[in-house]
Amino acid sequence: MPKKDHYVIIGNGPAGNKAADVLRENDRNARITILSDEHFSFYYRHKLCDFMSGVIDEDTLKVKFYKEYKEKNIRLRLGQRVEKIDPDSKTLFLKHMEKLRYTKLILAVGSAPRVLPSLLRYKDYFTFMSNYNDAANVKSMLENIKNPIVIGGDLIGINFIKMLSRLKKKATFFMYYKSFWPFDLDIKKADAIRLSLEKNNIKTISGDPVKTISRRDADYIIETESGREIEGDALFSFMGRIPNIQFIKGSGIDTERGILVNEYLQANYKDIYACGDCAQIYNLELKDYWISIGWENSILQGEVAAYNLLGEHRIIKPMSKKIFNVEGIKVKTSWWNQLKT
Amino acid sequence: MARKIDLVIEICGSAGEGTISAGEILSRFMSSQGFEIMSFDTYPSEIRGFGKCVAHSRISNQKIFSPGKNADVLVALNDVHSISQLPFLKETGILIFDNKPLRYHEEDKSIAGWVEPGIISYGIPLHELAQRAAGSSRGRNMVALGAIASLFGINAKAFEESIIKRYSKKSRIVIDSNVNSFIEGYKWAKENITKINGISFESPGIKPSRKKREIINGNEAVARAAIDSGIHLFAGYPITPATKIMEILSKELPGRGGVVIQTEDEISAIGNVIGAGFAGKRAMTATSGPGFSLMTELGNLAIMAEVPAVIVNSQRGGPSTGLPTKTEQSDLNIAVKGGSGDSYRIVLAPTTVEECYECTCLALYLAEKYQTLVVLLLDFFLSNSIRNIDSPKKPAIKLLDANKAPGNRDLKSYKRYKITGTGISPRAIPGTPGGMFVSTGLEHSEEGLPRYDSETHEKMTEKRYMKIQKALKEIPKPKRSGCKKNIKVGVLAWGSTAGSAREAVAEAEKCGIRAAFMSPLSLSPLPVDEITEFANECEILLVPELNSSGQFADLIAPYVYKKIEKLNMVTGLPMPSEDILSKIKEIAE
Repeated sequence: MPKKDHYVIIGNGPAGNKAADVLRENDRNARITILSDEHFSFYYRHKLCDFMSGVIDEDTLKVKFYKEYKEKNIRLRLGQRVEKIDPDSKTLFLKHMEKLRYTKLILAVGSAPRVLPSLLRYKDYFTFMSNYNDAANVKSMLENIKNPIVIGGDLIGINFIKMLSRLKKKATFFMYYKSFWPFDLDIKKADAIRLSLEKNNIKTISGDPVKTISRRDADYIIETESGREIEGDALFSFMGRIPNIQFIKGSGIDTERGILVNEYLQANYKDIYACGDCAQIYNLELKDYWISIGWENSILQGEVAAYNLLGEHRIIKPMSKKIFNVEGIKVKTSWWNQLKT
Repeated sequence: MARKIDLVIEICGSAGEGTISAGEILSRFMSSQGFEIMSFDTYPSEIRGFGKCVAHSRISNQKIFSPGKNADVLVALNDVHSISQLPFLKETGILIFDNKPLRYHEEDKSIAGWVEPGIISYGIPLHELAQRAAGSSRGRNMVALGAIASLFGINAKAFEESIIKRYSKKSRIVIDSNVNSFIEGYKWAKENITKINGISFESPGIKPSRKKREIINGNEAVARAAIDSGIHLFAGYPITPATKIMEILSKELPGRGGVVIQTEDEISAIGNVIGAGFAGKRAMTATSGPGFSLMTELGNLAIMAEVPAVIVNSQRGGPSTGLPTKTEQSDLNIAVKGGSGDSYRIVLAPTTVEECYECTCLALYLAEKYQTLVVLLLDFFLSNSIRNIDSPKKPAIKLLDANKAPGNRDLKSYKRYKITGTGISPRAIPGTPGGMFVSTGLEHSEEGLPRYDSETHEKMTEKRYMKIQKALKEIPKPKRSGCKKNIKVGVLAWGSTAGSAREAVAEAEKCGIRAAFMSPLSLSPLPVDEITEFANECEILLVPELNSSGQFADLIAPYVYKKIEKLNMVTGLPMPSEDILSKIKEIAE
């Protein structure tokens, strides 16, 4: 009797889940495993602020419950980190010292918080809000925070600072409009956003970046380039996200900023595909690699990767441009055309 | 009022990894800190090998009666074995595992790969820390105990001292290796694990007991009681789970003028006991299912010849050699009815470790006074379960010398088997002037001479039956708890299952079910009046027991005049109170 295929998906976000669903719909017999280093089931990342402030509960945050995976005969392994991939032997090496073999692999590992190179040396001071665990941690901190500092930005950072304001925290927002993510802001748009935030009683500093960060007892002291000193009892960083591919480097899978894949989302190994925030996709028209953002893009890529893994030849196409509304300012974006570090 | 602490910790590993030792050390230490303990171990039957071992300890600052079904904490010393134990971990339990084993596990052989959401898992480099502490990974069990102490707020210094005490008879190297491994585990967990669970043994609010407390298991209690009751001879053939009784007595008895004989088999063991009993010395043996079967015929001789003899039968899974290291209550039929003819005997079934002590004292007394066979029915769980109990009260003087010796008038024309109003005849110890008699397994006259006539057989059968019935008055009455009237579900349990039944009834009452519990100590003679009365008071009668057919339910059936609901299990594990509670709820609807 032939052995069943074992499709392994690393990543339990929108891309990974869509891929798993497509695989199950089209192959009832295969073993399907999703690996995630998070302990919490698939959730809406953009709703984490609402969860932290108590607007929604844990269950409402979830996209899919654990039992739904069981019902589809998809094995969800939570809290299990992949440390190494050996594409030649088709083996994954997990942090808890287990070898996992696959016949085909989809990398949907998503992204990790980005830290500006100028602030890298202060990385340990920052509290990030990258995943459920971070949010749960911040939620438990919120009650005791009085004057937080938020360095941003990105769209989630703006939502976060507004949430802090609603909770009557005396928050200070450092807006890095030149490094905004996922799109650039010009000074005009940045000023408009600043004014809008200040109307909400959020002290916003724009165009005066952080020079140094130091600790005084439990507090953080920020000195800006212009010599201003800001003190806060918590320090958050929201500088967008970068592909989460550190563990893939050295495996033989081609990477640059993300995992390099062709228009079929296939990596340089024929049984490995990548999709979602971690994939750096070759665009036939532009003849260059691109990274996409957003929930819808991830779902679309997860679907295409799964069909191609099953033998089809679908070419990924970029979603049409999306209009973001940031504090009343309309910004158009879809494909991220500048890979920021 | 102190917060309730009630946790089950399981340590799972392979034979030879110190799993059972670690569990025992944990149980005994927590006991010494005043916690109530209920523990049991499961391990493979093979003496050598790598079978699965589980040390299960329920630890509470409240009174507990059952071992608890699911674990709050599972410590995996061996991943492959522990994976099969994972279903017994609560959905929100804690897993402690080795996250740096010597080599990668193959697919699905790592327990961390099977953890489901809700379970908190703490990866600890058990091998690495043990190597660092003692140059060998053998101390992983101690590293795990150190981590437990750190994670759950256990006094590390006191724990360390208890480990030193535990290994005090070993070499310095052994002591240091164990202690250093413990410290290494404690420190590592303290420095590296951010605790995210609410489990803590800190501030248990335990009031120091005014009475002296002891940490003891069922076998130890039996051995202690035998010594305190003045036995002169113990004869036995090693068999799990009763061997420990012989081990203890072989150390203790010779120094007190007694004798321990390891015989060539169980038939010889009971023969020795009957011989000593005939000679007027208190004697007993301890065995388990297969050994008990072998003793049946000579047990009948003790009944027929009216010689005191005590057999401790610690039940395990059967039939035949069966499941040597699993618990069961399936020897009831053979204990009560085993043997040819109408072989009336006394059978006592203790329900707790305290009762193991009390019943052993009582058994030796009853055997001597009623000149018959007394069987003490323990089981694997009760034999090995460690409890923290008030120091047992030594037997009253009355219990220490119960032989009805013949008076001068009796000796003038001595009748060893004289028919009396109580069924008990004056018993001359061999060597008593004028007290010569014939003793035989054949039916006999009052003088002991073989007789085959119907009149003698009827008289003697009646005599042997009557004295056993009279003994009932000397055995504590069945215990009761729960509702006293308008009982919807009455639970009648025996032996080690009684604790779980009692706890289940208390929980059922909290759920608004009118439930009651009763447990008889004497299974032969049966306390028929109490059982009938209890059954009449209950709308539904439930009998939970660890055998397949419902042996106790069938034994009492002629006296209860109603259908008995049976709950039978042969899982090899103690019956969980949770399962009894579920059954109560189901039949109460």
